[in-house]
Amino acid sequence: MTAFRYILRDTGRLLMRHWVLGALTLVTAAVMMWILGLTTLFSLNIQNMLRRLENELMVQVYVKADGNAEQVAAAVRKIPSVASMQLISPEDALSKLQLRMGSQARVLDIVGENPLPWSVEVRVKNAASVPGLVRDLMAMSEVDDVVYSGLAVERVSTLSRVAFKTAFAMFILSIMITSLVLYNTIHISLYSRREEIGIMFLIGATRGYISTPFVLEGTALAFLGSVIATVGIMSAYFPGIRLLQNSLPFLNFVGDAVVLRQFSLLLVGFGATLGWICSYIAVVRFMRAAMKPL
Amino acid sequence: MFFIRAGWEVKDCMKIKFSGVRKVFKPDIVALNNINLFIEKGEFVYIIGTTGSGKSTLLRMITREALPTKGVVYVGDVNLRRMRPGDIPYYRRDVGLVAQDFKLIQHLTVFENVCFVMEAMSIPPKMAEYRASRVIEQVGLSRRVNMRPPQLSGGEQQRLAIARALANSPSLLIADEPTGNLDVRTSDDIMKLLMGVNAAGVTVVMSTHNQHIVDTYRRRVIELEAGVIVRDEFEGSYDSL
Repeated sequence: MTAFRYILRDTGRLLMRHWVLGALTLVTAAVMMWILGLTTLFSLNIQNMLRRLENELMVQVYVKADGNAEQVAAAVRKIPSVASMQLISPEDALSKLQLRMGSQARVLDIVGENPLPWSVEVRVKNAASVPGLVRDLMAMSEVDDVVYSGLAVERVSTLSRVAFKTAFAMFILSIMITSLVLYNTIHISLYSRREEIGIMFLIGATRGYISTPFVLEGTALAFLGSVIATVGIMSAYFPGIRLLQNSLPFLNFVGDAVVLRQFSLLLVGFGATLGWICSYIAVVRFMRAAMKPL
Repeated sequence: MFFIRAGWEVKDCMKIKFSGVRKVFKPDIVALNNINLFIEKGEFVYIIGTTGSGKSTLLRMITREALPTKGVVYVGDVNLRRMRPGDIPYYRRDVGLVAQDFKLIQHLTVFENVCFVMEAMSIPPKMAEYRASRVIEQVGLSRRVNMRPPQLSGGEQQRLAIARALANSPSLLIADEPTGNLDVRTSDDIMKLLMGVNAAGVTVVMSTHNQHIVDTYRRRVIELEAGVIVRDEFEGSYDSL
C-alpha cells in the first residue's frame, strides 16, 4: 500500500516536474492519434461505401433472340461468384421499363411489339469478381450482351485500395512518431533523475518500485493524448458527415453510434497501450544499464 | 536477522570474506590484485591508501556495485557474484551506505530523505515516521527536519546520510571517505556517531585519508597500495611504524 501510494505520488511529481516536456508530448500524442483516428475512419468509410456498392451491383445478361434463356440461367447459377440471379421474361422487362419511364411510357407504344429480349439479372458476391464473370458470360454462345456498372466499381475498388494503403502508411508513420516522442520523453525523465535512481538502487529499492512511476507517466501522457484526439475527431466527425450527406446524399457514411463508440474506445485503448509499451522499453533499457555492476 | 528474501536467511550475517579477488578495469587497469581478507561481524575497519589504491573498488564489491574479475566475495554465506539481480535490493537493505558526496535526494527534506528508504521497503507510514524521527534525533538533526540538503552544512548533510543509512537498522555500514569534505571538529562528531553505531553491533567498513581520525580512534587498519594489501593491523595507526 505504501509502495502504491509512493508510485502514484511520484507519477504526479514526474508529470509536474517536466511539465513543458509533458505538455509537448501530450500535444504530439494527441495530434498523432488524431491523424491515426482520422485515417482509420476514412478507410472505414471507403470500405463501407464499397460494400454498399457491391451489394447493389447487378450484371444484366441479355439472351439472343434464338437463344434458350433457361439454359443461360442454369449456366449462370453454376458460377461460384454469383450471389443470386433472376430470369426476366420480355413481358416483365417491359412492365419494369414502363414503370421506370412513368409518364413517358407512351413512347413505347410507337415501337409496337415488345423489343426486349429474355434477360438474367445477376447479383455478385464481390466487385472484384465482376470482370471475370463478364468474360465468362460473354463467352456463352447464347448470350447477346452483358451490361454492368463495372467501371464505377473498378474505380471505387482502386480508390479503396489506394485509400487503404495511404491510411496504412499514415497509421504506421503516426505510430512511429508517437512511439519515438514517448520513448524520448521517458528517457529524458529517467536521465534527469539518474542520480536519484542510483541512490534508490543503493538503498535497496526494487526495480519495479523505481520504474513503475516512469511507465505510468508515459502511459498517462499517451492515454490523455488519445482522449483529446478522440474527442476532437468525434466532435468534428458528426457535423462533417451531416454536411457531406446533405450535398452528396448518394454516399453512405459510417454513422452508427455503437460502431463509433467502439472505435473511440479502441483508439484510446490503443494509445494507452502504445504509451505503456514505449515507456516500458525506455525504462527497461535504462535500468539494465543502471543496474549493471562495474 | 538478515533477510534477503522470504525464505532466504543468511546466518553469521555480515562476516565479509574476500578470497583471491582481482579486479581489472578495461583496458588493463588493475584496481585490486589478489585480495584475501576476512572481516568479522561487529568489527570496525579502516581502509586506507593513496588515491587510486583501490579503496572505493573494494567497498563497491561489498555493496555489489562491482564484481571481481577473478576470485570470490562472500557476505555471510552468500557469494555476491551468484546473487540473482532480483535479490540485490533485499541485500542492500541490510547494508547502510555513507558516501563522501552524501548521495542525498536534493528535493526531499531531511525527514523525507530518511522516510524514503523505509517507503521503498513498504514499511507502513506511521512506523516509518517513528523510526525516521528516532534516527534523526540520534544524529542530532531534530531541528532541521523540514530543511532540504542544500540548506544544510556539510557536516549536517553527512549526519543525514548516516541517519538514512541507519534507518533500516543495517548489520553492515559502508562509509566511503565520510569525513573527506569536513573540518576536523565536524569529522570528530561524525566519527563519534560511527563509533556509536559500531558499539551497537554494526560492522563498519570505512575508507579514509584522514590521519587524525585513524590515529585518534584506533581500530583495525587495512592499507592498500596499487590494489594490493600491504598492511593489516589491529588497532593500527595511519602510518606504519
